Amino acid sequence: MRRGLAIRGLSIAGAITLAATGCGSKGSSGGGSGDVLRLGAPYSNTGALAREGALTKEGYELCRETVNAKGGVPVGGKKLKMEISYSDDTSKPDVAARIVDQLNDKGIKLVLGPYGSPNTAAAAPVVERNGQVMADSSGADNTIFSQGYKRTFAVLSPATEYAASMVKAIDELARPKPKTIAFLSADDGFSKTVTQGGVAEAQRRGFTVIPPEYFPQQTTDVSAALTKIKGKHPDVIIGSVHLVEGIAIIKQANELGVRPKLFGETVAPPTPDFRNTLHGLADGVIGSSQWTPEVKGSDPYFGTAQNYLAAVQAKYGHAAEYHNAEATAACLAFALAAQKAGSTDPNKIRDAMATLDTQSFFGRIHFDQTGQNTFKPMSVVQIKQGKLVTVWPTQAAATKLAWPGATT
Amino acid sequence: MRAAATARRAPGDGTGGGRYTRYGRYGPWAAGAAAVLAAIALQSQLYVGQERVVGSVFMFIVLAQGWNLIGGFAGYASFGQVVFFGLGGYTTAVLMAHARWPYWPALAVSGLVAAAFGALIGTPLLRLRGHYFAIATLGVAEGTREVVNNLTGLTGGGAGITVPTFGARATTAYLGEDGFYLLFLALAALALATAGLVTRSRFGLALRAIHQDEDAAASMGINTTRAKVSAFALSGLLGGLAGSAYTFQLVTVYPENMFDVSITVLMVIMVVIGGSGTLLGPLLGAVALQFISEWLRQSFTEAHTFILGAIIVVVVIVMPEGAVTYLREARRGRGFSPLANIRRYRL
Amino acid sequence: MSTFFQATLNGVLQGGLFALIAVGFSLVWGVMNVVNLAHGSFVVLGAYVAWELSNHAGIDPFLGMVGSAAALFALGYLIQRGLVNLVVNAPIFITLLLTFGLDLVLVQGMNIVFTGDFQAIRTSYASRGIGLPGGVQVPLGRLLTFAVAVAVTLALVALMGRTRTGLAIMATGMDRGAARLMGIRARHVYALTFGIAAGLAGAAGAMIGTVGTFHPADAARYTLISFVIAVLGGLGNMYGALAGGVVIGLAESWAGQYLSGTWSNAVAFAVLVVVLLVRPTGLIGRAFYEARQEA
Repeated sequence: MRRGLAIRGLSIAGAITLAATGCGSKGSSGGGSGDVLRLGAPYSNTGALAREGALTKEGYELCRETVNAKGGVPVGGKKLKMEISYSDDTSKPDVAARIVDQLNDKGIKLVLGPYGSPNTAAAAPVVERNGQVMADSSGADNTIFSQGYKRTFAVLSPATEYAASMVKAIDELARPKPKTIAFLSADDGFSKTVTQGGVAEAQRRGFTVIPPEYFPQQTTDVSAALTKIKGKHPDVIIGSVHLVEGIAIIKQANELGVRPKLFGETVAPPTPDFRNTLHGLADGVIGSSQWTPEVKGSDPYFGTAQNYLAAVQAKYGHAAEYHNAEATAACLAFALAAQKAGSTDPNKIRDAMATLDTQSFFGRIHFDQTGQNTFKPMSVVQIKQGKLVTVWPTQAAATKLAWPGATT
Repeated sequence: MRAAATARRAPGDGTGGGRYTRYGRYGPWAAGAAAVLAAIALQSQLYVGQERVVGSVFMFIVLAQGWNLIGGFAGYASFGQVVFFGLGGYTTAVLMAHARWPYWPALAVSGLVAAAFGALIGTPLLRLRGHYFAIATLGVAEGTREVVNNLTGLTGGGAGITVPTFGARATTAYLGEDGFYLLFLALAALALATAGLVTRSRFGLALRAIHQDEDAAASMGINTTRAKVSAFALSGLLGGLAGSAYTFQLVTVYPENMFDVSITVLMVIMVVIGGSGTLLGPLLGAVALQFISEWLRQSFTEAHTFILGAIIVVVVIVMPEGAVTYLREARRGRGFSPLANIRRYRL
Repeated sequence: MSTFFQATLNGVLQGGLFALIAVGFSLVWGVMNVVNLAHGSFVVLGAYVAWELSNHAGIDPFLGMVGSAAALFALGYLIQRGLVNLVVNAPIFITLLLTFGLDLVLVQGMNIVFTGDFQAIRTSYASRGIGLPGGVQVPLGRLLTFAVAVAVTLALVALMGRTRTGLAIMATGMDRGAARLMGIRARHVYALTFGIAAGLAGAAGAMIGTVGTFHPADAARYTLISFVIAVLGGLGNMYGALAGGVVIGLAESWAGQYLSGTWSNAVAFAVLVVVLLVRPTGLIGRAFYEARQEA
């Protein structure tokens, strides 16, 4: 009786072992054998990046449905339906890397990037080793692209542009021209790269730069950094931050009476959470964005940026965020590259990616030697009466920069 | 005192002499060798992604065995154990990226650095008892992460550090999934062998005596400080080796991931769920938790952590002393009913 | 000089918020010897309750905090009565494991129900600052939060020292066997203690939602903070969390002010380790809890 139980226990354990390692899921061989183009995506469904992960998945899903609704991707005379296999990376780099290997087990060679630079940095070497190809939708840190990887392509502008684009916008649009810019920065790699890019641009354009103050990423208390720069009375404060620190800067600056002429922040201002949580305080804040509805260009699947905006609104009931758009753009890059290659062979698709040069709802998609899309400018947006409007570059601007930004 | 009322059962209670007679002196070693051979045989059946899953199980066996030495045997619950993992990983990364060392000496040095750090901080910290020790180790781990984060010149800080593994820049050719599987397997075997030797040595007895009553152990002539610090350093060695292999496999690492407190929590959970202070408990806990969580993650994308949490709650209530003790008692015909433990521990 | 005052003020106020987060955790640990890893998820859940009350009924969070506390009290009571009491006699790690499982369930439950979006409770006044002479600014929301933390601490001291319920809780914490012989219903008292702690966590959540932002994944951070502050302050003393919170708040704030980079966290943890080495029972902990060892 007891022995029987022990044996049963062992066999259950054995079954779980096999199931957990994914035995029996022998995949088909090629990247898209049959009439499907098979993609795989690690994404953050749980953990600290769950919010951005959800937006990224929305972008991928919209791409898949739209492409399939148009009959699929034309590859070598056939129309291939797109299929995406999702897996939760729990916001952890090692899990993201593991998922890329597991996708390879199933014969999936085309990988849509996970959310964020650390997870992308972990996935990239695995992609390289397995002969897969990755369309990176959100890993912007330039250090990922200085490792000599040949199979990772980022549709988005590199990290160095995030703060630099705001500096350019202020230099061109703010009159009378401000003199001093202070930088606040989270201490993760991406944010630091952003800050370095911004500081360099500001010095190049003759601003007086107050050296950056750093605080731990994901902190809700940035009072020390604010108190430190308060006495230096900067005209502009630029934060390279994520959402949490971005909200904290605006809230605590208000509490502590830090009142520059303009706040600029990366990542946070374009998200609805930023406007919802800060309400009136968000007015006047500028931010840089990978994509805005005013972006010029169109493509056969999604049309223009305005069409894309409407599609997201119709499907998900909220305005399209740039996290949605960059995810869709990564997926779109695969569709266009497969069409161009006329094959689902991952090596041919890689080569097609390397030479891809096209306009799209996301702007120009074209990769430099390292795999970064340095050809697409970032946009600068400003919050006006709770609405997000594009103010730079001027040819895509919906309205003028309000200067000084803070109204209160 | 409530202490008297609390059920403080000796770790490994009931393991005593019986095992020698039942299996003989070499039985466990033979079983261990057979398991290693079986693991090598299993490898040929696995795809790379599966190898990676099983490799991570081996890694957690190393970590859980390491934690068990100090937390299970000696009864000093370290909540900062991840500091060894992180230090080992960063030592390897710095040596390979900056000093351009090949991997193998870097692996050895990483283990030694972590062990030395364990001895260094263990000497003052192990004077603390109970939760004060737990929290102090947590403080050391979090503080060390911040130091690593701020030594940007050496560690890259928040930007992470990348081990050179590709092309001409690589100091040691990347091991590939096959290689890492074997590396983690070797480390797991080393950890098990270490734990096995400790279990049967005077050192192990000293640790158990410390767990049961440290003052009594001291009065029996045991040098408790030396025993505790040695156990902590040894657990540090295992943690450092695991961190080193993990770093080389992952290529690019960041402070927040290498010093993630949730890795410590996982070690503790694995040991407790398997059976604290036993030889096979950490092994069983690591295997069960890693496989089940991985299986759930692959099968239930939305709700997997929810289900895992519910499973843990049920398991804890049914077998609060861990699987090994539970099965042992079951074999003796005591308390196999799921309700028996509830009857024993409920209020 | 005003910079120094500002930094000190920031640290003290932040410390009040820390204390409010940690006080329930400290209570449960001190009385029941349970390390509640689900504490942080109680905090976040409390924030969601206050947020819902504010959104749907327009209730100010300083009032809604009472609703959060009540809802979390009920949840805490039920969890202790139905689950934790089943294993409360087992070694401390067992309850740790149990609450770890609970934490996973609660965090992912919130993730499914509320999504991972960042939220904040909106008020017209919480992000205002009151100017003092010398350019020092007092953030109103944080000042109120600090007042709540002090009020909660004093109320807890009064509850523990002056009421029959409180005395029953303390007595059970010191010697459960003897307490039962005195006719105290330990099951109920434990559930009550856990409920009070969860309720305090809920109130803390409402405050966090008012002065900052929250989303489900924050839970782990609040558990960690509680862990640090509870032990730093010392278990078994109701003032412990407040003392620990203010010390950590000040250490972080001063370090942030006078050191470059992000050394402030390292300093906070260094303070923790040094305090423990010098005073192993925490700043104002009591020695008799030390005698009660965990298995």
